[in-house]
Amino acid sequence: MTSRSESDPADRTPSGRVLLIEDEPNIATALSFILQRDGWQVSTHSDGATALDAVARHAPAVVVLDVMLPGRSGFEILSGIRTGPRPDLPVLMLTAKGQAKDRARAEALGASRFMTKPFSNREILDAVRALAAS
Amino acid sequence: MARATPTGHRIRERRLALGLRQREVAATAGISPSYLNLIEHNRRAIGGALLSRIAAALRTERAALAEEGDAELVEALRTAAALRGLAPSALEQAGDLARRHPGWARLLLAEVEANAAQARMIETLTDRLTHDPTLAETMHELMSSVAAVRSIASILAQTPELDRNWLMRFHGNLDEDSRRLASSADAVRKLFDARPDASKGGLLPAEAVARFLDANGHRFDRLEDEGAGAIPELVAGLPDPVARDMAAAVLAGDADDVAQLPHGLVQAAETPADLLAAAGGDVALVFRRMGLRDPARGLMICDAAGAVLRCKPAAGFPPPLIGAGCPLWPIYAASSAPGHTIDATIEMPDGASWRAQAVAMLTPPVRFGHPPDLRATMLVTPVEAAAGTDRAIPVGPGCRTCPRAACPARREPSVLAARLDKADDAMNTPAQT
Repeated sequence: MTSRSESDPADRTPSGRVLLIEDEPNIATALSFILQRDGWQVSTHSDGATALDAVARHAPAVVVLDVMLPGRSGFEILSGIRTGPRPDLPVLMLTAKGQAKDRARAEALGASRFMTKPFSNREILDAVRALAAS
Repeated sequence: MARATPTGHRIRERRLALGLRQREVAATAGISPSYLNLIEHNRRAIGGALLSRIAAALRTERAALAEEGDAELVEALRTAAALRGLAPSALEQAGDLARRHPGWARLLLAEVEANAAQARMIETLTDRLTHDPTLAETMHELMSSVAAVRSIASILAQTPELDRNWLMRFHGNLDEDSRRLASSADAVRKLFDARPDASKGGLLPAEAVARFLDANGHRFDRLEDEGAGAIPELVAGLPDPVARDMAAAVLAGDADDVAQLPHGLVQAAETPADLLAAAGGDVALVFRRMGLRDPARGLMICDAAGAVLRCKPAAGFPPPLIGAGCPLWPIYAASSAPGHTIDATIEMPDGASWRAQAVAMLTPPVRFGHPPDLRATMLVTPVEAAAGTDRAIPVGPGCRTCPRAACPARREPSVLAARLDKADDAMNTPAQT
């Protein structure tokens, strides 16, 4: 999915906002840096309990969502998004646990993409662009 | 393929050549004369420990008696190969392999068994990886720091125009995360160092115990003579202390049984009913004693969940290689009516009939509000098929390896699907001997 051709809409310069819900500060810093350089406006949020409010407030084009968050798990937030006012919002799930059951759970709850840590920066950028274009 | 002389004929020829009577040979081998008679007329599958005992009684090697290697070996080879999806035509060559190259066939089978044991070990370890919260947390920490290090490092390598502020910040974060990485890697290593394992030959303790019991045919003559005092020496060969303790506990139970029903009584009994009075009505005790002493009989003990606590196979009545047994075995029905004995004749797909006697008993102490500890015990004894009656219940060895396609109790398809037609024919045609 990450390979792109010249005519691919994902190749256009992105515009819009990415909401990064991640509680590891250094990963959040690195990810916002690369997403901003790629042309995105980036908001970060580190608390699971208030993540759904952040989604409503920032009106992002794509959400990058970590599974392990303090307060509320990424799975709960994902299911909140899917049953909320913007059920089609593209969500890229990130997890440090690459277990099949986590992946299956994310898919069952309607994650648009699922990536395991450690990820490559390029993969994240490609995935976010593809999700925004979809 | 030319068919070799059947094992039963060879046993009979050898016995006659030595001028021995059936009764003498049967006594030495620890089976009843009528059972030896069935064997000699090739009415019973024979293999494993019993064939070795008969060979010893006839002062010869088992290889000299075995028809196609031995029947148990052939069946085990076929089952193992079928589980791996070998073509039915190739399955037919199992007998050939066992007869011509018994050593290699046994090696093959040992490898298959070792493989299965390892697969179970891997499953256990995977369970542990999945459910151990300390390990999960440590791995999460490790992967998070790896993710941060990787992401920051690639920014630093691929962004030459990075301004000084960002550069300082990323260097600082990289330093911080690489320390975190080192300490979480160390934590993972310590976690695995602290785990007791290895040195068990890849077997779970319960499997090591089962293998130990099987290797001894579940029969320990020293317990009969010396009682529980012999246990430490009997289990000394088990390298894993956990397995050794478990085996010692099993043998302690056996020694208790010996004390309650001494050898002489058991030897003199023809059927379980003969021992019932001496056992004070403890049917399960009678089943255990007869099942473990007589190599021709099989014994199975289950808990309330149907999990096999002990299984002594008999030639022709093998334990399920994989998964649970046949749901039609009387042992499971016994669990639904504790204290009631079940006495049924069952027929395996190979046409052999068995008398299956089962009972489930509650093990004291009984406590209010707690589910009782229920143990079901089944004794299987080979019997001659009662001609002209259809009272035997058709059962199987467990769904995976059972050819009875239309069985209403089937819970999963058989891996022997390709052999169905033949087996169904065999079921519908009266056995000709």
